Amino acid sequence: MKIILPDKTIQEKTGDPVSISRILDQIGIHPAEVIVSRNGILVPEDAVAGGDDEIRIIRIAHGG
Amino acid sequence: MTQGDSVAGNAGRCLLCSEPPVIRMNNPDRHLCAAHLVAEIEERAARTIRERELIKPHDRIAVAFSGGKDSTALLVILSRLLPAWEDVSLVAITVDEGIAGYRDDTIRAAEEVTKKLRIDHICVSFKDLIGDDLDTLLVGRETQACSVCGILRRKALSVAAHNAGATKIATGHNLDDEAQSVLMNTLRGDLPRLVRTSDADSSDCFIPRIKPLADISEKEIAAYLFVQDLFPFLPECPYTRYALRAEVRTMLSAMEQKHPGTMRNLIKSKKTIEKYADRGAMSEPLRRCQECGDPCSRELCQVCMLVKSLGK
Repeated sequence: MKIILPDKTIQEKTGDPVSISRILDQIGIHPAEVIVSRNGILVPEDAVAGGDDEIRIIRIAHGG
Repeated sequence: MTQGDSVAGNAGRCLLCSEPPVIRMNNPDRHLCAAHLVAEIEERAARTIRERELIKPHDRIAVAFSGGKDSTALLVILSRLLPAWEDVSLVAITVDEGIAGYRDDTIRAAEEVTKKLRIDHICVSFKDLIGDDLDTLLVGRETQACSVCGILRRKALSVAAHNAGATKIATGHNLDDEAQSVLMNTLRGDLPRLVRTSDADSSDCFIPRIKPLADISEKEIAAYLFVQDLFPFLPECPYTRYALRAEVRTMLSAMEQKHPGTMRNLIKSKKTIEKYADRGAMSEPLRRCQECGDPCSRELCQVCMLVKSLGK
């Protein structure tokens, strides 16, 4: 599984499928501050990812 | 993995159809697909407008449009709701504060959106208003960025809205912003600001401000835009790190995660205080600024005080 972080750096993860919330927790990102896509499609945090999935974590920028 | 099989538990489908969910909403806890998320967000904005009577026939709405996610969502939603209102028009106003490496991108994004939606677009700058850009004004006083910017931005917006013939100014403040403001005003001990009414006020001196997205969370707004390919991938304001709001935001996000409903409860408490507070006893009577004649509560308005303090 490929994880693209908000700063565009990439992490590769192997192993059993895992929930998005677990991935965020492991990276130390608060779920309220990001949205997450799996293979280009937005998913909720209780969605599960693994295998060849590409996870993209998008920070919700604030300040107008 | 296929979408439908890859959400934990029984939540692999939208609550309202068989499509895969894109978001998990709370209060109540439910999963929604892209189409039902879009429909729900637009309906909630419409309900806020209806219940608080934010827009009336013949209004000309100036939308404070930075090109960021909140104001983009606001403009998209208002443009879709427009046909339901009698003789209501929109104009988008972008304020160019002059922030290097940030504002140029958002202005470009703003221009693209207004062109696509066919909405009149006006851009005004701090340089036009006060003779300098924000970066220059803030040299050596970066920690005051948000208060300096806020005062000048409000003024620039008011002037542009007035010149555009607007009867209301709509801003993209969302549920998170509103909850953060309640907590910030409490932390500052600023009761007059805390009880300032959150709905369109009827003051004759100011163009009333409305917040149609006040019932929608920041994350819901981001998701609403993303599923429609409208999410603006833009940088964050470089001055954000100096703001008290940034600390409050992180704290409240953590609280909301741990105790869902925290943000709504904060807003509810503000509304309760608003109901019982004697605003007249807490705020200064309205006067006219001795320099510019604008309505204010002291001898000078905030803009004129700021201009003096900047030695301009």
